[in-house]
Amino acid sequence: MDTSSPTVFVNGELLKLYMGRRVRTVVQVIRNEGGAVVGQSTDNQQLTVKGPNQSVPVMHFMEVIGVADGPQSIRAEICTDFGSNFDMASYNGLCKLANGQFKNLFL
Amino acid sequence: MYSSQYDGGAFVSSQSPDSSVAKTRGNRSTTIPLTVKQITDAYESSSQKSELIVDGVDVGNIVLVGMVCNKASRATDATFTLDDGTGRMDFIRWVNDAADSSETAIIENGMYVSIVGSFKGFNERKRATAFAIRPIKDHNQIVLHFIQPIRMHLENTKSKVGSLSQTQQSFVNESSFSSGYKEPQTPVSNYASVNSKAQGSETDIYKLVLDVLQEPSSLASEHGIHVDEVVQRLGLPAKKVKEAIDYHVDVGHIYSTIDDFHFKSALGD
Repeated sequence: MDTSSPTVFVNGELLKLYMGRRVRTVVQVIRNEGGAVVGQSTDNQQLTVKGPNQSVPVMHFMEVIGVADGPQSIRAEICTDFGSNFDMASYNGLCKLANGQFKNLFL
Repeated sequence: MYSSQYDGGAFVSSQSPDSSVAKTRGNRSTTIPLTVKQITDAYESSSQKSELIVDGVDVGNIVLVGMVCNKASRATDATFTLDDGTGRMDFIRWVNDAADSSETAIIENGMYVSIVGSFKGFNERKRATAFAIRPIKDHNQIVLHFIQPIRMHLENTKSKVGSLSQTQQSFVNESSFSSGYKEPQTPVSNYASVNSKAQGSETDIYKLVLDVLQEPSSLASEHGIHVDEVVQRLGLPAKKVKEAIDYHVDVGHIYSTIDDFHFKSALGD
């Protein structure tokens, strides 16, 4: 069992608090710009995702696991296609809970 | 009896009209959704390394959701590491027949899966055993899985003192699992509130009396508990307590044992 490098559940707002740390979030892909993907976070902010696997189609939801390298950007290590049917509001709620009252269950 | 691992890990300290068994706190056939962080914390802070106790609840089986990595497949088993974002945990899945091997064959590194497994034997072998590994198809399941331990934590750490309110608990049902958490005696309270003459205080007394009778110490004793003892415990008027007891006998929650003053809960193990 190893809990040394947890990945924090973040939304656009929380990303700022975890600069330089490993985070995970889900964005809805808006467009592909060269090597980066612009996505809308669960709390309606625009985030830029730089990284290798950018094969998620536009309008699909994509989970990004990587390092927060800017207030609105993530350097992705793993991108997973979450399909076109994903509840952003629930995920947003989960981010708030996992970083708030129930932080000890996650980090 | 609760023989299925997947079906309702409901850790319930009360009765409900549908369930055939009400479990006492000692029963460990629970299936509980957790995060690796919770398990690690519970494991490291416990003196008895063979058992897992999270938020005061004895954990039987565990449900985890995360990404597979380091998968290694052999003829008799498959080992892998599950990373759920809060930590990593090693698992082994024994392969006994074709169904098992086809289950493990579809699992690949980088895939999100849901695992039902057991923590037993972790102390010796530093890995847990997986009974079932299912790929996640609908990713909302991931969010749901993480909400469940939050909910459970909230329930289990909520103070029981003075919890005389009749809150309805809604079950979170997810395919074949249910999360395990304490359920207050809602059916009894509802029944009582329909039948009783007064409102709040009557039903509360009925609930309190039943609570005393449902305690493990009362259930353990063959003769149950004496009326006077219940009166003394609760500090309530004897007449009210006797009324409550009569009511519970009528509806079948308790029965008299060696004489008319000893009662025992009918829903103990």
